[in-house]
Amino acid sequence: MPEADFIETLRCRLVELGCPLAQVRRLVREVADHRDDLKQAAEAEGLSGAAAEIQAMAQLGDPLALAEDLAATLRRSSWWGRHYVITFGLLPVLAVPVLWALALLLELFLLVGVLGHGWNLTKIRPMADDPVTFSYLLMIFHLMDYLAVAFVALAFHRLARRAAVNRKWMMIAFGLCSFYSLLSWASVEPHTFSLGFSANLHFHMHYEQWIKGMIPPAVAAAGYVLHRRKVQRFLEQVPV
Amino acid sequence: MKKTNPSFLNGIPELLVLRLLAVREMYGYQIVEEIRTKTGESLSFGEGCIYPYLHYLEAEKQVSSQRREVAGRSRNYYKLTARGRKRLEALSSEWRRVTSGVSRLMGEQYA
Repeated sequence: MPEADFIETLRCRLVELGCPLAQVRRLVREVADHRDDLKQAAEAEGLSGAAAEIQAMAQLGDPLALAEDLAATLRRSSWWGRHYVITFGLLPVLAVPVLWALALLLELFLLVGVLGHGWNLTKIRPMADDPVTFSYLLMIFHLMDYLAVAFVALAFHRLARRAAVNRKWMMIAFGLCSFYSLLSWASVEPHTFSLGFSANLHFHMHYEQWIKGMIPPAVAAAGYVLHRRKVQRFLEQVPV
Repeated sequence: MKKTNPSFLNGIPELLVLRLLAVREMYGYQIVEEIRTKTGESLSFGEGCIYPYLHYLEAEKQVSSQRREVAGRSRNYYKLTARGRKRLEALSSEWRRVTSGVSRLMGEQYA
């Protein structure tokens, strides 16, 4: 296999295996340096340029196997990657409700801060009593609820990319995010706010619940498309 | 309770790399060559396989790396960190414990 093909095969396989692109760039560069060192050593032993190149390639071995090795080590190098069953199969069960509630409360805290000019509740109370203003507040509240779900899904997306785990585990995490989003509810009425979970999953749920349930798959799809584009641009660059 | 040894046996490449980097900073090819020559060619890394180990050690903050140009060639040089030095001490003492145990057994039963 010619030198350029070896590096290109290695690079494409590493990308296919889900390695972060910055890591791929670095690994490919180092393997190319290594190949140059091997070639130089072979030439110093008296081999011709072409023979030295063949020997260097033979010493480096199969680029696909090398890529598998490199990707496996990358996975092992983070706690999330080493314990991917816990991180993407079990952690969402515990973390999704907590993260969602925290994100929503933080957003509400910020909203109250903005509307009340520094948490002055006497300025907010009249808003809740006015039906028109309250309907706008309700709309903002629903948007914030969706945003909190999107934030949780994005957190797991980022974790999966950094840990370079198999796409299957990313999908499991998104599935759990989606399931919990269908079960979680947040309600606001004048002067009252409540949130919680309901195990009562049925087809006649309010449309806001269904929208929430669709957010994690939408984040996954958007993440996939953006990643594909990034990969495309990356692969169009000259490797080394 | 005494620890079992499989994790240590998996840690031999780590021990070798850390031991070499304790002497001076090196790049990947140099490490592979040193292991091959200093072990009398009885141990050797697959050529490209050193990099996952180095990146793993770097992620664990046991080594650090820097891209530098020396004699017209730009390469990633790796050096040991304080945490790497501690890890090397731990692995070395584990190595001595295991080898002395194995030697004792071999001496008693198979001499």
